[in-house]
Amino acid sequence: MNDLFMSFVPGDSVLHRLDPRTKIIGLMLVSFCILDASSFADMFFIALVFTVLVLSCRLPLGHFVRSVRPMLFFFAILFLMQLFFTEGREVWHFSSLSVTYEGLLLGTTITLRFVFLLLFAALITATTSPSRITSGIERLLRPLPLRYVGITSHDMAMMMSLSIYFVPMFYDSFTSLREAQISRGLDIRKEPVKAIFSIVVPLVSGSVRRVEEVALAMESRCYQSTGRSSMHEMKFTGKDHVSFAMFVFLILFLTVL
Amino acid sequence: MSIEVKDLSFCYNRGTSLEKRALDNVSLSIGKGEFVLIGGEIGSGKSTLVRHFNGILKPQSGSVTVSGMASTDRDVRHKAGLLMQYPQKQLFGRTVFEDVSFGPSNFGIKGDALEQRVADALEQAGLGRDIGSLSPFSLSGGQMRLVALAGVLAMQPEYLILDEPTSGLDPENRSSLLATLKELHLSGISVVVVSHQVCEFLPLADKVILLDNGWVSFNGTPVEYVRSVSSPLPEITLLMKDLIREGFDVRDDILSIDDAFEEIVNALEKRGAGQDE
Repeated sequence: MNDLFMSFVPGDSVLHRLDPRTKIIGLMLVSFCILDASSFADMFFIALVFTVLVLSCRLPLGHFVRSVRPMLFFFAILFLMQLFFTEGREVWHFSSLSVTYEGLLLGTTITLRFVFLLLFAALITATTSPSRITSGIERLLRPLPLRYVGITSHDMAMMMSLSIYFVPMFYDSFTSLREAQISRGLDIRKEPVKAIFSIVVPLVSGSVRRVEEVALAMESRCYQSTGRSSMHEMKFTGKDHVSFAMFVFLILFLTVL
Repeated sequence: MSIEVKDLSFCYNRGTSLEKRALDNVSLSIGKGEFVLIGGEIGSGKSTLVRHFNGILKPQSGSVTVSGMASTDRDVRHKAGLLMQYPQKQLFGRTVFEDVSFGPSNFGIKGDALEQRVADALEQAGLGRDIGSLSPFSLSGGQMRLVALAGVLAMQPEYLILDEPTSGLDPENRSSLLATLKELHLSGISVVVVSHQVCEFLPLADKVILLDNGWVSFNGTPVEYVRSVSSPLPEITLLMKDLIREGFDVRDDILSIDDAFEEIVNALEKRGAGQDE
């Protein structure tokens, strides 16, 4: 029933209590560091930072492993592409394909980069509730001149939180539809085209209906996109300032290293 | 031949922090031709249990067999036809015929035989034959639900399993659905109804099974049910209990209005005869 991919786990650690803006900015900065990291020393350092953060938020490591697992196939492809299509010193060859030393190195670092990006993102989603993430993004977007394109940062935030809200619903109706059609003898592996139609048609029509209902419900409660107050009043505290200092240190450390 | 469930246990999200035990050592048997009512509160494991009957869920421990066939066999799906909750939301065909024929065609039925099956199923579900050419989305909610029922009946199941078939129906559609189920049962199909509103199906049932937090808390006849379980009882049974408290000589195991009427008339006649003497 519950998909555990990138889900939020309530808690009371430092990471949980940090301002969502700090975490979002932090994630962006860390992502730059990860994309910039090329040596194994850098990777080791990033792994160390990740381990410290996981320990500090007191969540089982298994939770993060599960977040990466659905992408394993993608990682494998990525690794193999680099492995076989990089020019350099040949280490081993298999008919016309050859594995190079450079390919091995590049494949490992690129795959590790993606793994770490995903792990850090999972760290943020695990310690920040979706509503806090959206309110953080809303606050961060506020200085942008969005009104010139006809929307406000509130609109953006509302769209985001609605889409987050619809993901599990969409997933739920997908599972129940699949079960219903399997009950009627559908063999998904044998007849994929039939399966797509019998599941997608009611899935889409049901979702459109649901979206209309939500729009009506919002309309009837006088939804306005401007000047809304928020459940989460955001204020940077000492923790956030310390975190920012650590980000600066992290970047300096990785670039100088 | 029956549905046999032995020591069935099932956990959602096994091995994670969200692990939830839905079924705990459930053993029961549903005989051929029976009308069985499975009740219990929301979250008691009813839906999880019936999802095992046609193999959507595979037993994590224990076993489920349908007419001697393991539930993991794909052919179990047309032996035990499952109508899920809110089935009107699962329609997809351009026409009612296309939708109803989906089940049997998945089991390799074609041509005239298929058309015959669809026509029979529509009739059994209480819909006219001419509805077949319409789009299912042009029908009313109640009719859409009957189309979905026909979609399951078209597989000619030995067991018809319905998950909360009356939820969200208006009283008129509700009573006509009950009548349809009664007729199907009389025609020889075994019917299994899952509902948290046990009372409305009691008059039809041969057997009542109650689940509580994943284990069987009651398994017996409707009469045993109204005698042993304190809540919830049909209003008509409560009325009879009130009458008994007022000194009327009536039975306390009445389930339907017709029986109650007869019993009350009898009691009044007896009382009248007593006063005449």
